[in-house]
Amino acid sequence: MAVSTGTKYDVIVIGGGHNGLVNAAYLARAGKKVLVLERRYVLGGAAVTEEVFPGFKFSVCSYVVSLLRPEIIRDLNLPRHGLEILPLDGTFTPMPSGDYLWRVNDHGKTHREIARHSKLDAEAYDEFGKAMQAMCRFVKPILSMVPPDPATLNPKELMKLLFIGRRFQGMTSEDKYNQVQLMTMSAIDFLDQWFETDVLKATMSASGIIGTLLGVRSPGTAYVLLHHYMGEIDGAFRSWGFARGGTGAISNAIADAAREAGAEIRTEAGIAKIIVKNGKAKGVVLANGDEIYADIISSSVDPRLTFTKFIEDGTLPAEFLEEVRRYKFRGSSGKVNLALDALPNFKCMPGPGAHLRGAISISPSVEYMEKAYDDAKYGNFSRRPYIDMVIPTLTDPSVAPPGKHIMSCFVQYAPYKLRPGLNWDDQKEAFGDNVINTIAEYAPNIKDIILHRQVVTPLDLERDFGLSEGNIFQGELSLEQLFFLRPVPGWAQFRTPIKNLYMCGSATHPGGGIMGGPGRLAALEILKDFKGAA
Amino acid sequence: MPEGKTMPQTRDVVIIGGGHNGLVTAFYLAKAGFKPLVIERRPQPGGAAITEEFHPGFRCSILAHAAGPLRPDVVRDMQLEKHGLKLITPDVAVTSLSPDVRALILYNDANKSAQEISKFSQKDAAKYPEFQESLAKMGKVIGEALTLAPPNIDNPSSSDLWGMLKTGRAVRNLGKKDMYRLLRWGPMAVADLVSEYFETELLRATIAARGIFGTFLGPWSAGSSLVLLIRAAGDAHPAGSAWFAAGGMGSLTQAMASAAQQAGAEIRSGAEVIEVRVKDGTATSVVLSTGEEISAKAIISNADPKRTLLKLVDPTHLAPDFVMKLQHYRMPGTVAKVNLALSGLPRFTALNGASDGNALTGRIHIGPEIDYLERAFDESKYGNFSRQPYLEVAIPSLTDPSLAPAGKHVMSIYVQYAPYKLKNSDWETQRNALGQTVVQTLAQYAPNLPEMILTHQIITPQDLEDTYGLTGGHIFHGELSLDQFFTMRPLLDWARYRTPIQNLYLCGSGTHPGAGLTGGSGANAAREILKELKR
Repeated sequence: MAVSTGTKYDVIVIGGGHNGLVNAAYLARAGKKVLVLERRYVLGGAAVTEEVFPGFKFSVCSYVVSLLRPEIIRDLNLPRHGLEILPLDGTFTPMPSGDYLWRVNDHGKTHREIARHSKLDAEAYDEFGKAMQAMCRFVKPILSMVPPDPATLNPKELMKLLFIGRRFQGMTSEDKYNQVQLMTMSAIDFLDQWFETDVLKATMSASGIIGTLLGVRSPGTAYVLLHHYMGEIDGAFRSWGFARGGTGAISNAIADAAREAGAEIRTEAGIAKIIVKNGKAKGVVLANGDEIYADIISSSVDPRLTFTKFIEDGTLPAEFLEEVRRYKFRGSSGKVNLALDALPNFKCMPGPGAHLRGAISISPSVEYMEKAYDDAKYGNFSRRPYIDMVIPTLTDPSVAPPGKHIMSCFVQYAPYKLRPGLNWDDQKEAFGDNVINTIAEYAPNIKDIILHRQVVTPLDLERDFGLSEGNIFQGELSLEQLFFLRPVPGWAQFRTPIKNLYMCGSATHPGGGIMGGPGRLAALEILKDFKGAA
Repeated sequence: MPEGKTMPQTRDVVIIGGGHNGLVTAFYLAKAGFKPLVIERRPQPGGAAITEEFHPGFRCSILAHAAGPLRPDVVRDMQLEKHGLKLITPDVAVTSLSPDVRALILYNDANKSAQEISKFSQKDAAKYPEFQESLAKMGKVIGEALTLAPPNIDNPSSSDLWGMLKTGRAVRNLGKKDMYRLLRWGPMAVADLVSEYFETELLRATIAARGIFGTFLGPWSAGSSLVLLIRAAGDAHPAGSAWFAAGGMGSLTQAMASAAQQAGAEIRSGAEVIEVRVKDGTATSVVLSTGEEISAKAIISNADPKRTLLKLVDPTHLAPDFVMKLQHYRMPGTVAKVNLALSGLPRFTALNGASDGNALTGRIHIGPEIDYLERAFDESKYGNFSRQPYLEVAIPSLTDPSLAPAGKHVMSIYVQYAPYKLKNSDWETQRNALGQTVVQTLAQYAPNLPEMILTHQIITPQDLEDTYGLTGGHIFHGELSLDQFFTMRPLLDWARYRTPIQNLYLCGSGTHPGAGLTGGSGANAAREILKELKR
């Protein structure tokens, strides 16, 4: 017999990931009685810090921050709630030849370094930066707008389209040309137009494929490249950083802001069902059978879980469910988190140094990147993967015991669907070994300094973090799944076919990354509807 | 012909290149009262749609062996039947062979196709007509867009707005469901699209092939669905139909030439334009390899955009950033052609030796799985031709015996992927290796084919460039990708058949819509250019 716990809420937010928390914070600040339900013992979803091994606090999944919308940092006053972003300086790409490419935030240094590979590219690099900023200026307002519905004749919607049209008109024809290409081309086709240095193109193209099952030569990846260029901290474009105390600190700061505004947050409170009565969401049933009621349910988990797991069959229109089934996840990446006794020693730049303080990218050539993708297409993890490594302990020693280090390795490709006969639980350690062997080709001492190793496969991301098919963005960032097509054509405005049920996770516009955009935009839409109802 | 070397003769319109689009443009301009002179480099007009004898007694469509199909209004206006075009459209559209000795035969009639498909999957058989209907609906809308001149993005003219409005309305009339489909499908990978509808791998691959043909895309490349949709505009059959001409594709362009001439156009073959002269930003004349100079009020190039503006025109007449963008216009060829003269009709095991060969009268598809096609593509990414290539085969002599001696046959084969740029090798060295690969691949499906080969003609992407003037050997005058389509074909702001050079126009496949043998580009160009000439 299910017990109904007395209090009734205005809004129940399903999932205590960063978007769920942002959503709750905005709703609570507007005076709503909000309850956040998180399945795990810890908040943050994929933006989480966990002490996996004694003394070592890993940012288990997401490990750098860049896209977090500045208006959210401002509105929620996150610094006061303990958010501190430490800059991550530069990208270091070791090469098998013994050479390397090392870009840093210092413009002069980077210019000289690139010139060492190609004078032309050094010049083009500055131009490229300017062009990308122009693109970002066009795309940013779109990131903070509710997608229009092009299929209606509702003037309000058409105005939104017009707004975008006008902004496009406003650009110089040079910028238009770039914008169109960016929206449609492959990262490499796009970069080929600017640069000749292979290792530079390879490393830059990497941000175009992160979290997608696409290759650097796949059309549409140029856009994702921009998506990652949009990084903005304290108004400075393209700056990436760590949160002191690990990525989880971001979630904790947001949670703190939400609580201060009056939101109630429960962990280890996974839900089993969303209660729907004659087309209206009424509340949720917890895994333990408790029922909690609210006027509005806001789900930050992905559409597959929300609509096919938490909603009774037969409640939703078949056509809508068909579209949900079509929504593409296909996770393509994994993580290997290492607890180290000392620092890795790179052949091409021995000893410690500033090159270890930024991102270290294993992306030596375009062909290397594309071949890594080819393996994944046929259901294998890349024999030689793209790896993005950071050593947060050099910037924030607090996350490891004195003198020890943490190295976080983002690995692509690790396709969720392995070829028939293979499964991730069997492949897990082989996958981890393969990553270590790859790193060892550049930093041979790596094998001797590993104290502990945590391997996170796409299957782990699905099971432990509730990311369907292990997609870190809650669904691929491919053109046909963006803006007014995300997550489902006709349902990009955070509402769902079920009245009072909303979506507020990365599966909605503007999508994945620690951005908070979906949580905020969804909150604003929900508040609109409250007003409408009142 | 006047020995015009002394004083340049003057024409109102000169058209460089007698490919099918050039001939279509010539026809419409002549109809409107102009006297266009078409100058063709090769001994006969036709461009990539030509028939030649490649072995004593054996003739075939040397390059293109099937049409897009041709746009109906073009066929009608030019009265091509009256000018000798005899269409051959066998009711077998495509026969798709699989190594497991099964064959999937698709007909022009959707229901008949569904019956065939039901042998593989009832579910797919049920879905097929639905898919074809959706394609037809969307194809119709896209078709409207294809007949438009792309609007001027910066300041749309009233007719632009009208055109956009019409298309806009057509799009709305699709209804919410198909409209969103259109938006969603465009950028999708064709492999995803077909697996949304079908479970039979052979059927998936056969349809997906239409999204990659002639492009530097694999079925898993995003945007390959767009190519399928563009094709659907002319032909809603999911796998395409077979659109042949009696006497080969050459007789199609012969009919076009005759229609253009009757309308008042003049065609000079065996005359090569080597330069377009430009004076203060205006094209004034063309110079032939013989040194002869012909001045004209309007010069229209059927050659591809790069050849026209970077070779025939001295680029110093163009703004540097325009030149740079044009250099970045992507046209890496991926298709080669192999033509075989056969002593008989090979026996295809998958058709358990069906002797009448009726199943072979359409297009024959070889590329049984999505992964097969993708792997073929993978190799081309690294500068090698596919060891197991995707082939589209036709045996035109089955429906048109005049092409080969009695009892003998010609086989025409598109080979993909054959990248224009080979990694540390060149096509002269690889020519025969390519031929062998093709024959070996076919032999897996028709074991007795090799012993029947009397001769083979191998046309590499290099040949396509050198002999037929296709820059990069690209059969569509440039990739059919989202960033080179509609208002971006060939370049954003220059999609309206004009060029930065006054009086110099484009009418080839490098302009919108530019999707193969349809006559679309030529017809659109003529309409736009006429507006200008009448000013």
